[in-house]
Amino acid sequence: MSTSLIILVVLALILVLMYNSLVSKKNQVENIFASVDTVLKKRYDLIPNLVASVSKYMEHEKSLLQEVTKLRSEATKPNISDGEKIALDAKISSALGSIMVAVEAYPELKANENVMHLQHTLHEVEEQISAARRAYNQSVTDYNNAIEMIPTSFMASLMRYGRKQVFEIDVSERQNVNVKELFS
Amino acid sequence: MKSVSELTDFYYKNLYPTLEKLEKDRKNLSHRIVMVGIFLTLIAGVAAYSLKGFYEFVLFAYIALGGIAYKFLVHDYTHEFKMSVIKPLIHSIDSSLLYSSTTHVSEYLFEYSHLFSSPDKLSGNDYVKGQIDGINIQFSDLHAQKKHQNSKGKDTWTTIFQGLFIVADFNKHFNGETIVLPDTAQSTFGELIGQWLQSNNAARDELVKMDDPSFEKEFVVYSDNQIEARYILSHALMKKLLDFKHKSAHPVYISFIGTHIYMAISYDKDLFEPSVFRSLLEYKVAMEYVKTLHLAIGVVEELKLNQKLWSKR
Repeated sequence: MSTSLIILVVLALILVLMYNSLVSKKNQVENIFASVDTVLKKRYDLIPNLVASVSKYMEHEKSLLQEVTKLRSEATKPNISDGEKIALDAKISSALGSIMVAVEAYPELKANENVMHLQHTLHEVEEQISAARRAYNQSVTDYNNAIEMIPTSFMASLMRYGRKQVFEIDVSERQNVNVKELFS
Repeated sequence: MKSVSELTDFYYKNLYPTLEKLEKDRKNLSHRIVMVGIFLTLIAGVAAYSLKGFYEFVLFAYIALGGIAYKFLVHDYTHEFKMSVIKPLIHSIDSSLLYSSTTHVSEYLFEYSHLFSSPDKLSGNDYVKGQIDGINIQFSDLHAQKKHQNSKGKDTWTTIFQGLFIVADFNKHFNGETIVLPDTAQSTFGELIGQWLQSNNAARDELVKMDDPSFEKEFVVYSDNQIEARYILSHALMKKLLDFKHKSAHPVYISFIGTHIYMAISYDKDLFEPSVFRSLLEYKVAMEYVKTLHLAIGVVEELKLNQKLWSKR
């Protein structure tokens, strides 16, 4: 067998492997984003319930509640891009955080069984979201690495694969609460 | 829960009369062991001299007899030590805990943890079981061995795991399997090749790369669900596991399966055994018992397993 044929076969094999690894990385990202979507939806489902239970008491935070409702309806619209979903998720996280802080100022709310249950459910969903986000970010990092590193970068540019966006994790979310600072 | 220093105080203050008595037994015992040893060695020497050959056989008999004699001699002392020192120590931490000096964590749980390959022989002792803050916990000393046949067809035994094995309720719901092992590949072969080897480990599920660099440096995570693995291993838990690993100063294997967390700490020796040739009053000897017990029972508090989520209440 001629040497050139062997070289050709090996080359083709390498190209196929590179192609497949890129496709599998892209699909992994999509696959995990679907799971992120599911847990995000779980949280959207909680929002109307939460708003309904707290709005009676929260006179001063009406605008905050309206904002959350608005964000939710935006996020649940069909055909919005992954990038938009990511941006909306960040906004909803911070708005929900503010509501939870505000709840602390209303003793009757804090004691309300329904609100307490919602708070705990929301907390659990947040943990699931955080896990899904981290999984997504890791898969995007693997994907972005592959499309920017040699030799797969050449293949990726031929396949017109572009960088994908990761979820920004709020710095304050990653740090443990500093009790000392809270009281100073 | 009592701190290590409180337990050390307990060891030296409350147990002091018992220790003094045991210390006398220990001295007598070590004396007797030396005498028996000398006697056995002499007999073996004479036998080897008069038989002029069969050296292998004599050596084998010498080692076997020596082992049996040692076990026989220390048996009572060991039992006495465990009942009058280890048991009170455990009960001083939590009086509701049950202790058995002869049984161990079941083989079923050991295999179910999926941390090690299934053993051909599993032995162990010092079984502790009970509830701490409403969390079921059990642990014991374990020694798992596997049988191999060498080229001559002789059986040889290799140790798969020896050390402390802990099983406790876990505070989150999950369906899959997540396994955390000490990172040997990455520390031996470097990051790139190590990670490639890890991702191609056929015996394990998918590799999960964690986003905590110091955790990733010490451990490697495999799971059948990328998201669930991160749900279990939150940033807080990763930090706590890392602290736990540093505290134990031994390789730690962890798995999350069903509703439990399984932890295996590889000490490579039998734990909670009385020292024979060193004084029981020695600080280092005492600290070993106290620290190991504190580590095992403290798991619930250390990893905050008692902070249940809403759905698990």
